[in-house]
Amino acid sequence: MTMRQPAIVVLGLLVAFLVGPFVVIVAASLSAGDTLAFPPQGFSLRWVAKVFAEQSFRSSFALSMFLAVFATLAALVLGIPASYAMSRYSMPFAEAVRTVVSSPIIVPGIIVGLALLRYLVAPFGINVVVALFLAHTALVLPYCVRVVSASLDNLRSDVEEAAILLGSSRLGAFFRVVLPNIRNGVLAAFILGFVTSFDQVPVSLFLSGPGVQTLPIDMLGYMERTYDPSVAALSSLLAFLSIGIMFVAERFIGFSRYV
Amino acid sequence: MSDSAYLSLEQLKLAYGKTVAVDRLDLAIKQGELIALLGPSGCGKTTTMRAIAGLLAPVSGHIHLDSRDITRVAANKRSVGLVFQSYALFPHLAVFENVAFGLRLKGMRGKELEDRVQSGLKTVGLSSFASRKPGELSGGQQQRVALARSMVMEPKVLLLDEPLSNLDARLRLEMRAELQRVQKETGVTMIFVTHDQAEALALADRIVVMLNGTIEQIGAPEEIYNRPNSAFVADFVGFENVFRVRAGELDTETGRFALGGAIPREAQGLAWRPSMVELGGGPFEGSVRGMSFAGGTRQYLLDTPLGPIKVEASAHLPTHALGATVRFDLPVSIAAPLQRFG
Amino acid sequence: MFQNRAEALTLALPAATFAALVFVLPVIVLLSGGLHVEGRWTLEAYQRFFADPLNRLVVWRTLELGALVTAAAAVIGYASALAIVDLPAAGKSRMIGLVVLPLMISPVARTYAWLVILGRAGIVNKALMLIGLTDEPVRVLFTQTAVFIGLLQLFLPLMVLSLVSALENMPNDVIPAARVLGANWLQIFVKVVLPLTREGLVTGGTLVFAGSVTAYITPAILGGSKVLTLVTLLYQRVTIANDLVSASVIAFILIVMSFSANLLLNRIATGRSLK
Repeated sequence: MTMRQPAIVVLGLLVAFLVGPFVVIVAASLSAGDTLAFPPQGFSLRWVAKVFAEQSFRSSFALSMFLAVFATLAALVLGIPASYAMSRYSMPFAEAVRTVVSSPIIVPGIIVGLALLRYLVAPFGINVVVALFLAHTALVLPYCVRVVSASLDNLRSDVEEAAILLGSSRLGAFFRVVLPNIRNGVLAAFILGFVTSFDQVPVSLFLSGPGVQTLPIDMLGYMERTYDPSVAALSSLLAFLSIGIMFVAERFIGFSRYV
Repeated sequence: MSDSAYLSLEQLKLAYGKTVAVDRLDLAIKQGELIALLGPSGCGKTTTMRAIAGLLAPVSGHIHLDSRDITRVAANKRSVGLVFQSYALFPHLAVFENVAFGLRLKGMRGKELEDRVQSGLKTVGLSSFASRKPGELSGGQQQRVALARSMVMEPKVLLLDEPLSNLDARLRLEMRAELQRVQKETGVTMIFVTHDQAEALALADRIVVMLNGTIEQIGAPEEIYNRPNSAFVADFVGFENVFRVRAGELDTETGRFALGGAIPREAQGLAWRPSMVELGGGPFEGSVRGMSFAGGTRQYLLDTPLGPIKVEASAHLPTHALGATVRFDLPVSIAAPLQRFG
Repeated sequence: MFQNRAEALTLALPAATFAALVFVLPVIVLLSGGLHVEGRWTLEAYQRFFADPLNRLVVWRTLELGALVTAAAAVIGYASALAIVDLPAAGKSRMIGLVVLPLMISPVARTYAWLVILGRAGIVNKALMLIGLTDEPVRVLFTQTAVFIGLLQLFLPLMVLSLVSALENMPNDVIPAARVLGANWLQIFVKVVLPLTREGLVTGGTLVFAGSVTAYITPAILGGSKVLTLVTLLYQRVTIANDLVSASVIAFILIVMSFSANLLLNRIATGRSLK
């Protein structure tokens, strides 16, 4: 009956396959050599230092951070009322609204980027950063709606009715009773949206212009030009950042429930 | 409506979308009354309650409370309290803050707030639970918090949705007494919704029996229990042998049968509780299909020319074996005459 | 439930309008570009696209990669998920954490690692030469195999997570029951586990397939211009030839692939909620 031995082998291989590559890039980024290699040639922090010194990484990191934070906030501002309407009201065209709002998740990102570039940015002369912001907001919106809707569906609507009968307005009931109870869901939606936007490549591919690049696009460009380990160092730093966020999110709101 | 009515519903029509749930409902309730809305699920009792609370806008008709038309008054301005079936406590707030919620919205602060909340909690015997979160309370305790939360608002009418249905048998008796006590002490007008006739009979001053969105009968518990006016109400309160009457005879699927006495002229039907059927003699004959012992009594199910008849007889009387043929009587004098049938 | 329809629409309309204007409309215009050429509606662009053997090869390769990655993910996914659900509670949640973690890390970083591993001077080649299987470095990078490995690593977690939840929803004791009735492990898997976790397999498979056929980073980095997929071909057509008509055709094919996968997923999901 016991399948212990093979199970341990299987899980060992799974972890090696999923997590192994990170060990490799972390090691490669600590190399003293001039080219990307594993096992690393000697030990040094020069490539990590180079990441911080590289002006282009710093500005693209700032842009990606800005986009991830504000696109997700904008998506939440749009998404929370929409989720609330779909969860609490018997609404006309509910299915149509749901489909439109969640369509960015279905259509491949590269098409979104191209369509926006050709038919929104080019004809209306919209600034590239604004275009990226709009695109990322649309992209993050479905994730926000999905996670917030799930939290709302878990909260009984009679709790709001109770607040109203105790004298609260509809809006007051939302802020006093609904929002505090879906707080973890909103935080999870923010983290998921942030990560989705921050790591996004295909949507940003066409929209990034010279001098205005998100971090992943910048990394892709850098990889094509040079073969030194600084992208490995940057990847390791980003991986540690993600692990940190994941750890905190899991600890405080049980993040993996919401993924 | 009558002058003494404190809460009155006039020609109320309620619907969810195109589905009409309640139609042409008239009801007048006096101040301080304890009313039960009784009926099976889907009869419109909860819908009626939600309309009184203002959570559902009527299609047509009027609601008056304390000589004011509140039909179009928003739910948060009605002074109507509602204890939800699920209690609907605010999960993120401690018991104290749950009870203080409405008072704070009224602008009450400091010592006055503290005193009101504490006295509300004391009334329901939960003074020492003020700092607990709802999730840490039992179902019965949660319900009492919900009751206190509504009562501290001093509502003109307190509505309770199936207040006892989520409690176990022992707590149910306790809570029943609690509700009666609170109502006596405060004199609040109370309406509770239930599908359990025993609960309605035990608690209410008057019972409103509802079926398919209309009122079947309104009356005191004794009246409902002893003089049901329709086949539905009769069956609902335990008259298990119900017959249609036509031209002074019982009209069954298998034929017409004359009875030993004169049937009241206006009766559309007659109903007998199993205990009202007299076993061991009479004009009818049936064979015993089922028999079960229930402590002080025996319950029989008879196959008869009138159809199946349920009988309850004292356990001291001789037993009738399965398959045995027995004679029985349906005495007209004690039967409940029904003004409506079907 | 509240009834006020105007209120509901007021709440939902900003999001719907935003998505429609910023997203649905431009995409529809883009798609119509391949069907509406020189002032008339025609399928010519599609005929021309499929007439080119290179394009047919790319369509085929994209589907093939999607299918292979999905199949491999299913096999590895079942082995892993069965092992994971057997773990004690603490070990299980730690293991699930390890599976979720890569999903949170930048795909660029994840794919980049394979450059180091599969490159000419990478570990794989060093190991192969060390044990004497080859004298020359083997070319793995910029082959379909490299893209396959990269995609599998990227999307395997989605399959494992779906299968873990499917296995956890399986009624207790069905495996011991089948064992008692004399079934061997293969029979148990085919006759009991597989039918009972079919929905999880389809959910995971759809996510993996749709992800694989629409991925950009992995084929771009690990396949380069030698192993084009539909997405990298689209990028090339636009940036090199400014060929928007082909781009529109490719976009349509991609949306059909992604949409059918999503439709299947939804069909399965609603089927489950109705039960």
